[in-house]
Amino acid sequence: MPHDEVFEAMSTAFDGGAPVALATVAQTLGSTPRKTGAKMLVREDGSFVGTIGGGCGEAEVWQEAMDTLEDGAARMVTVDLTEPVDGEDKICGGIMRIFVEKLEA
Amino acid sequence: MHAVCVWKWYIDCRGYDPPLAQESVVKMAAYPELMANSAEIARALLTAAREGPAVASCTVMGATDGVDIAPGAKMLVYADRQLGDLGGGPLEPAVVAFARDAIPRHVVQTCAFTPSGEPVEGRRAIEAADAIVEILVEVVEPAATLLVVGGGHVGLAVGQLGAMLGMEVAIIDDREDYANEARFPYEAQVICGDFAEELERFPITANTYIVLVSRGHKVDELALRTVAERGAGYVGMIGSKRRTRTVLQHLAEDGVDTDKLDKVFTPIGLDIGAETPEEIAVSVLGEIILVRRGGGAQPMSEYGRLLATTRR
Repeated sequence: MPHDEVFEAMSTAFDGGAPVALATVAQTLGSTPRKTGAKMLVREDGSFVGTIGGGCGEAEVWQEAMDTLEDGAARMVTVDLTEPVDGEDKICGGIMRIFVEKLEA
Repeated sequence: MHAVCVWKWYIDCRGYDPPLAQESVVKMAAYPELMANSAEIARALLTAAREGPAVASCTVMGATDGVDIAPGAKMLVYADRQLGDLGGGPLEPAVVAFARDAIPRHVVQTCAFTPSGEPVEGRRAIEAADAIVEILVEVVEPAATLLVVGGGHVGLAVGQLGAMLGMEVAIIDDREDYANEARFPYEAQVICGDFAEELERFPITANTYIVLVSRGHKVDELALRTVAERGAGYVGMIGSKRRTRTVLQHLAEDGVDTDKLDKVFTPIGLDIGAETPEEIAVSVLGEIILVRRGGGAQPMSEYGRLLATTRR
């Protein structure tokens, strides 16, 4: 239900005058590890809290979050879990769209 | 550059065949005007998440080409005011109205609107629409509080499952053996004291879920008397049909608002044949999730069968 640790980390970052990138699952299709609203927060040093789906496309989203912190532009990232990688089936099998934005206070 | 419209995209890839476009990342342009109000909005979002009151955060996810709206723009809608905007125009009041209605339902959903503010629902309508704006409407609020009255076997299990679901758990009992930190191997506020006094002192909001599972119906009755009219999001009381009916009758006779009593979930829980305290906890928390999220409370497989029957 809640995103306690994500908002906790956001608060700490803001108190220190640092921006964060917030990735939110905006839409899902088929079977995905997390549902709409799941969040991951990425700090400038690359550390992160929360998950938008452990492993399933998370690295790609993390990279986009780092870019967002750099240029300030929001992004929509599509993570396609329907395609097998290295001949192995992925655990999930759906598609997620993830919105990435920079927040600072 | 406009973002690809999520819903249009949704429809395009429904068949999974041909495979999705290779482009997996759609960048959005930076919007200086959005950056300008982001500090205030970011702070407000944080406050809503940690202290409340609940807010519906509305963020433009995308729009079809030609619609004059900035993807990424964010507006916060409270029950009684708004912070930020979507650039005015007829879309904004429609989104505000939708968002306000979303707050008590804890909605997290991407919704489609026409630029003039008509909601667009369903695949056919979306396919037929010339222009669409998509908004992620997300209710942000503090973790729900689960107030468990009674620290016995059922209370212990109910609290544990609530903690697992991310709720802030508080457990009240007047017996020290059943209300001490050591008894609860999970994060919980354990309160040992007089039921009526402690319950009167306990803050109750629409985001408080109260489970009455004390050692007997006398205590449950006393507790219900204290909390029934205080606007909790959920009040459930354990007991047989007969016992619980008697309790409700007593309270009604004493002048407790019968509209409020009608909303008490008693006997408590979903009918899943629960026997053990742990199973009862699943039944109770299942009911709480049902109240929070809405749902049909049927096996999912039943819906498939129903659909098959309708199609035939």
